[in-house]
Amino acid sequence: MPYLPRGVAQPTELIQHLNALAPFPPGVVNLRSTVEDDWSGDPAIFFWITLSDEAAHPPILSQTTRRITNFITQQLDPAGQWGLIPYFNFRSQSEQAKLKEEVFG
Amino acid sequence: MAYHDDLIAHAIFLSQLDLPDDPKQVDLRRAVSAAYYGLFHLLTTEAAQNWRHQSQRNRFARMFDHGRMKTCSSKASSRPLPTDPVEVLIATDLKLVADSFVTLQQARHAADYDNSKVWSRTQVYETIVQAQDAMTAGMAIREKEIAQDYLFDLMGTR
Repeated sequence: MPYLPRGVAQPTELIQHLNALAPFPPGVVNLRSTVEDDWSGDPAIFFWITLSDEAAHPPILSQTTRRITNFITQQLDPAGQWGLIPYFNFRSQSEQAKLKEEVFG
Repeated sequence: MAYHDDLIAHAIFLSQLDLPDDPKQVDLRRAVSAAYYGLFHLLTTEAAQNWRHQSQRNRFARMFDHGRMKTCSSKASSRPLPTDPVEVLIATDLKLVADSFVTLQQARHAADYDNSKVWSRTQVYETIVQAQDAMTAGMAIREKEIAQDYLFDLMGTR
């Protein structure tokens, strides 16, 4: 029988835990997520995170993304608790205002 | 400069074209791909250094498979960290390499094949920095046993 990860088998519980992540760390303007397979067919959760322009400033971008990634990984443990490989995507608020990509909200 | 360093330099160059705010998708996508291949070639080159015959090392490095490397990296990434204070530093570096490999490979696949995805410069900067950090961590622990085990496991052997 194929293995069904908890994050796919129990979507309602996952959403509850995702909602419980708020308040988000400083610099996060918006955070969305989608559950889908990655390129090789492994179940995954993709985080689409819009940052304030200040937080996305290149000299501190790495520090910002590490803080947010650690926060989500520690609070949610996507791989360990939900069987989903986490992928993080970041963009700035001004970039999203221009690109208007739906997945970022 | 080593090829993997050239790839990172190329990724940075591409990501900074058309500043301040009009980057072309083709440049951003190629930058993401170059960043992934920077880490990919560092790992395969390091593994090939263990092959005794220098003239065969490039052929050896071509034996690596992206999918098997991802499977190995996912396993390495999910292992619990040791409690020993010295070992935990090394294992944390290895986890950074393995995590980054999985993430960068997914980004590279999206950049090369998914035309529906729109890239921003921030996404690409973050991808490049992640590759740089992973390469730095990998080089810092390159002689450690768990790093050598990881390189060997990347071939997909049992």
